[in-house]
Amino acid sequence: MTQGYRNRSMTPGTNTQSARPGRTLAARDNLLGLAFIAPTILVFCAVIVYPLVSAIYLSLFSIYTPTMEGEWVGLANFQELLAKGEFWRSLANTLLWTVGTLTLQLLFGMLVALMLHQNMLFRSLARSLVLFPYFLSTVVAVLVWRWLFNDLYGIVNHMLMWSGFIDMPVDWLGRMPNAMLSLIFVGAWKYFPFVVIAVLARLQTIPDELYEAATIDGAGSIARFFDVTLPQLKSVLVVIVLLRAIWDFKEFDLIYLMTGGGPVIATQTLPLMVYKEAFALNRMGVASATAVLMMLITLTFMIIYLRKARD
Amino acid sequence: MHYIPRWLRRGLFNLFAWTVILLIVLPLVWMITTSIKPQSELFLIPPAFFPEEVTFEHYRRLLTETPFLTYLRNSVILAGGTTVLVIVVATLGAHSLVRFSYPGRETIAGAVLFTYLLPSVVLVIPLYFLMAALGLVNSLFSLVIAYTSFALPFALWLLRSFMSAIPPDLEAAAMVDGASRFRAFIDVILPQAAPGIISTALFTAILAWNEYLFALVLINSDASRPLTTGVMNMLVTSFNIEWSLLMAASVMMSVPLLVVFVFLQKYLTRGFGAGAVKG
Amino acid sequence: MSGLTLTSVTKVFGSTTAVDRLDLSIGANEFVSILGPSGCGKTTLLRMLAGLEQPDSGEISIAGKVVNDLPPSRRDIAMVFQTYALYPHMTVAGNIEYPLRKRGLSKAARKEKLKQAAELLQLGELLLRKPRELSGGQQQRVALGRAMVRDPQIFLLDEPLSNLDAKLRAHMRAELIQLQRRIGRTMVYVTHDQLEAMTMSNRIAVIRNGRLQQFAPPQEVYDKPANEFVAGFIGTPPMNFIDGVLAADGSFKHGELRLDLGALQLTQGFQPAADGTPVRLGVRPESLCFDDDGQNARVTVIEPVGHELIVMFDYFGVELTARVAPNCGWSVDDEVRLRPVIDQLHIFDPDDGRRLNAD
Repeated sequence: MTQGYRNRSMTPGTNTQSARPGRTLAARDNLLGLAFIAPTILVFCAVIVYPLVSAIYLSLFSIYTPTMEGEWVGLANFQELLAKGEFWRSLANTLLWTVGTLTLQLLFGMLVALMLHQNMLFRSLARSLVLFPYFLSTVVAVLVWRWLFNDLYGIVNHMLMWSGFIDMPVDWLGRMPNAMLSLIFVGAWKYFPFVVIAVLARLQTIPDELYEAATIDGAGSIARFFDVTLPQLKSVLVVIVLLRAIWDFKEFDLIYLMTGGGPVIATQTLPLMVYKEAFALNRMGVASATAVLMMLITLTFMIIYLRKARD
Repeated sequence: MHYIPRWLRRGLFNLFAWTVILLIVLPLVWMITTSIKPQSELFLIPPAFFPEEVTFEHYRRLLTETPFLTYLRNSVILAGGTTVLVIVVATLGAHSLVRFSYPGRETIAGAVLFTYLLPSVVLVIPLYFLMAALGLVNSLFSLVIAYTSFALPFALWLLRSFMSAIPPDLEAAAMVDGASRFRAFIDVILPQAAPGIISTALFTAILAWNEYLFALVLINSDASRPLTTGVMNMLVTSFNIEWSLLMAASVMMSVPLLVVFVFLQKYLTRGFGAGAVKG
Repeated sequence: MSGLTLTSVTKVFGSTTAVDRLDLSIGANEFVSILGPSGCGKTTLLRMLAGLEQPDSGEISIAGKVVNDLPPSRRDIAMVFQTYALYPHMTVAGNIEYPLRKRGLSKAARKEKLKQAAELLQLGELLLRKPRELSGGQQQRVALGRAMVRDPQIFLLDEPLSNLDAKLRAHMRAELIQLQRRIGRTMVYVTHDQLEAMTMSNRIAVIRNGRLQQFAPPQEVYDKPANEFVAGFIGTPPMNFIDGVLAADGSFKHGELRLDLGALQLTQGFQPAADGTPVRLGVRPESLCFDDDGQNARVTVIEPVGHELIVMFDYFGVELTARVAPNCGWSVDDEVRLRPVIDQLHIFDPDDGRRLNAD
């Protein structure tokens, strides 16, 4: 007859011989896991959690940067910011910059990704070259483009005049709307390879059979792009747009070094405003408040975006 | 519907594609040619594409007449120090997140993801305060610590995806074979994660090499400046903007990148594919 | 004494109970198969024996000692994984020596044991290769070698043959059996393939949804399955089932079919009602007989497998499968006479599946 199966109804934990003997090994395991992550948590608390909380705390004070002394002002910093035009102007600039450069990044990125997906001569060399702008130091990128945009000696003006598009050299960085446009363009040049790589990686996972089936069904190349490629790219694009939007929104180096926020504050974005308040105007408290507002805005956009993307 | 022979189509496509690519790298090419043009050729109107004469005068001046070498040394220390610290902490952390299950693990993973998106400009002010309070302002050490604020989440994200691709049975086999959990990590997981670790190390080093804002805020003395702020400082303090010197400096700052690209490119693209976007 | 005992072991993952109050007692040097369909909890069970998972309640003992708290490295067990889990960055020799290095054996001792294992499994030429250069069968032998080299009390094998092609699998089955006899250690072998379990084991533990169904030698599991699940799981082609009503006088009815089961002894606890109690009849393909005492059935499918034919019939609306000699001369849609051999019939309770025969 069958052996071993006793139809006792036993609830776990009532085994009288030893109370839940398995737990201690599992507990030791958990402890080791926590030990492994402890350095990370330590670093996090020190350089992320603490400064984050401090930033919120500092925003409630009025602080003079060189001496780092200040006094409590409560929400006065926030009130001042929201009332002043400069904050809203900077926000508008930030949005303009983000949307502009992100759009170009996506366009360039997808086009070049599609291009690199084909069989072309020296394809791996092409891929390496395309990545260069992304990994370049922003300092180098800015120096090079400022030299390129130089009104007298820059080749941008030279080539445009040579090909007849313009008669006189253009001041690319000192006047509006040129300055914002130049920024948007350089930002796109620097960051579009991120889109290229991500899209290319996804393109390479689309099975050939899908294209073959579409061809048999009568789809031409444009139709194949819209009906096969684009739907497959959708999930990747959602993530790319989110990441790049957040990173473009918080971009400091490129804009600060290209135009410094000028002319006047025409290209000043929120990150630049934070820096200016903190280190040029010596108002740490206001700077922190600006930073806090910036974070809230980012968070709000993220939540809205993720909710929309989920549907 | 006219018939374009295949070879012609491919030829035209290659022409188009390579034109696009050359346009993308044109600024960099211009950077290089400017750096080797003699001063006289620099300010020609209209500017010439190719130098008639090649000179390395600007490089010589850069290395002997400016603090460039000091900046270079600082950048090397900075990139190296940050990479070592971040890799050690992140490898242990990623292993913990991937292969253990303890209460709070998912929260920590979510927190990591969240910090990946934090603006540095928010953190830089309190970090400045912190470093000032600790008496660490103007030291490279303070920068290394500050850099972990953005390098660590990124490295964790990358390493997490690399290490989750290692078959779990390997660790189990090592434990059955007699290794403690920790030993199994050293003997089996680390060798398997090596390519991923190299990718992450490269990304981290590049991030540290290129960083500007924190260096701007936390370092004021020329002796401790890394290349990024040092070179920009050279631009600002000179009365005349010496474009030839700056282009030479730009080329030199990009040399490590070039080296990585030529020899280690597969590590970069692998890192991109693994961590950057999950489809 | 190197036996293995599980006492009321339970493991829950989230809302699923993978292993449910399981009791099992495996003797020293026994070859036991843990058999069941995918997801029945057998791999979880094995991993708990290894120490890779911890039971939520219950005890696991090896050689009389409770091992719940011992990590895998201290349980004196070896495991062969379904994916072999060979260390990719070490050579074959490195893989096999690894457990010995962990045990602190001297270099000379390690080399000696490596040599023995290599000889036993014919790995001599492969010692310097890396795992990715080996075929599936070779990798499997390396995995075995790594397990054997420590001479543990207990071997745990997790579906080690499932990644091999059919021919190699048959060959490795034979090799494993010989190996076990030669080294004479306890082996716990997890599989979903009932043929493997039948041919290799001293006893089979049939598991379903985390519960033990039956634990008995292969022939007993075949001839006297504890319940309908075991009966249907063991044996190829699988057992046929006919639902119907059994009356107290031994008559069985299904639609127009009438069978006299009078000769069949039923267990004490079961008394069919006078006007009939629902039962489920089980008849193995080889227990179908073709003679004039049979009833009419129509041939629906004929599958030649070389040495015999697998023939399916429509028998009073039920689909039956039988094993038939190749020269029967039938074709599809033929009418033949067919009957089950009464004293080879199994009877099951249709509600809880338990077997109602008296033996």
